[in-house]
Amino acid sequence: MVTARADRQPWGAIIAFLLPAFTVYTGLTAYPVLRTFWNSFHKVLPRSEEFLGLANYTALAQDDIFWRAVLNTFTWACISPLVEVGIALLLALALYARIPGARFFRVAWFTPVLMSYVVVGIVWAWMYNYDWGAVNALLRFLGLGNFVQAWIGDPKIALPSLIFVTSWMWAGFNMVVLLAALHSLPSEVIEAAELDNCGWGAKLWHIIIPLVKPTLLNLLVLSFIGKMKIFDLVWITTQGGPLWSTETVSTYVYKRAFEWTSFDLGYPSTIAAVWFVFVLAAVLTLTWLFRQRDKLEY
Amino acid sequence: MISRAFLFVVVTLYTVFAAGPFVWVATMSVRTTTEISLDHYAWPQIWHWEKFPIAWFKSNYQVYFQNSLVVVVAAVIVLTVIGSMAAHCLARYRFRANRLLYFIIFSAIIFPPQITIISMFQILVQYGLYNSLPGLTLVYIAIQLPLTVYILESFFARIPADLFDAARMDGYSEWEIFWKVSLPIALPAISTTIILNFILLWNEFLYAVVLITDEAKRTLPLGIQRFIGDTMYDVGMIATGLMIAIIPVVLIYAFFSEKLIQGMTAGAVK
Repeated sequence: MVTARADRQPWGAIIAFLLPAFTVYTGLTAYPVLRTFWNSFHKVLPRSEEFLGLANYTALAQDDIFWRAVLNTFTWACISPLVEVGIALLLALALYARIPGARFFRVAWFTPVLMSYVVVGIVWAWMYNYDWGAVNALLRFLGLGNFVQAWIGDPKIALPSLIFVTSWMWAGFNMVVLLAALHSLPSEVIEAAELDNCGWGAKLWHIIIPLVKPTLLNLLVLSFIGKMKIFDLVWITTQGGPLWSTETVSTYVYKRAFEWTSFDLGYPSTIAAVWFVFVLAAVLTLTWLFRQRDKLEY
Repeated sequence: MISRAFLFVVVTLYTVFAAGPFVWVATMSVRTTTEISLDHYAWPQIWHWEKFPIAWFKSNYQVYFQNSLVVVVAAVIVLTVIGSMAAHCLARYRFRANRLLYFIIFSAIIFPPQITIISMFQILVQYGLYNSLPGLTLVYIAIQLPLTVYILESFFARIPADLFDAARMDGYSEWEIFWKVSLPIALPAISTTIILNFILLWNEFLYAVVLITDEAKRTLPLGIQRFIGDTMYDVGMIATGLMIAIIPVVLIYAFFSEKLIQGMTAGAVK
């Protein structure tokens, strides 16, 4: 039976099933990717195209704003996952300890991730408002008036302030995934640790973290990829300012392609192409680093 | 017991932190801007429900809402159909190049949007689809297709092959096997992708801001963005607009919270 199945494939059906999806994929994903690479070697004006060779690439290498954007985005993509997943792990452990109302907390904490970055951006622009924002209001109420500041208006702290917002948004999401992973662990292992009089910290470090490691690594990579793409939140709150302190690669590409009056789509395509290679390289490196050498059996 | 109580306090504080901003916006959505500027944190004295019809009719939210609904519903329907067809095929038939095709689609999940967005703009301009809802719908189908196929394929692959052999013995055609065997069994996974795609596209901003410029064709995220540009200080009215954008999501969440959490986390758990 098995060989018969392998030999006679219903090719007509296979092609019919795949055709619609692959038509869309070819036309609106594969072709655009190739065209962006083609663009990157040209000056692309609305009615004319001119071959430039590597000129865009050499210009990009000397583009300080681009490198600033790369640095900002990488900072974001490296810090965020650690903060988010760290907070999420603590929250998940709190709910795992069977607190009353755990179901309610789980549902409530997940809410921010359901809102669009546009909504979140406006809400946090208000939270960070100098005069009446909740953050400064809380500081004044606590008598910490010295710490009151323009959270997204000061180049020194604008980026950390926005990173904080994404952590606020995604911690609940990561928590839910980790909680599911914790609940699927065999309870004997954790009970055995308790019998051995294992301390809370030791239990966390030697037992729980190794057991949920695959999920933790997955979440770190997922969060990293998400932050490498970040656009909406920045665009709504600071548009990359003040003084490029929150410029990300996404906002810079957008500005160069659709805001600057140069009308050239070639140079932004070069940024996109280089960034594409950066992201692929970073993700491949991470998956290679995180590959499971010693898989835990239980 | 003391550590229990401490844990409970921490958890409650975090809840205030996570949900507080939304409660704040909700109170502002039923207060006028004059009231808000007197005290930003007061509980509504008079509930100004009339702000909702005002936003809906006068501030054009009706149009934004309809545009969003049309684009998102159309995209989700097409995505579900062509996504599950492809996923079924990749999971069910062991033909040469199967894994290669799967990898080609799957890898697109990590592509940064910039790599396609500029040329998508060019393509849509070329075919007269720029600044049109059908054009945006097509783009939405394309950007969510990889994730849809990925989630559905992993579910279809778990359906035992015996079931298909039995169906074939009964004389089912390949199409009938998909339609009458695969789809009904995969309904939980399919509803997961429907909810996931709905939420993600409902919130989508980057492609919309590049591909739509007409006031009459704005989707909700674009509509909201316009108001922060136009009337940055009409906080009360913006809050009402935010609530209008949030309400469908909150409603779905209220009824299907488990399903929705499942959908959003589907990609994360392996």
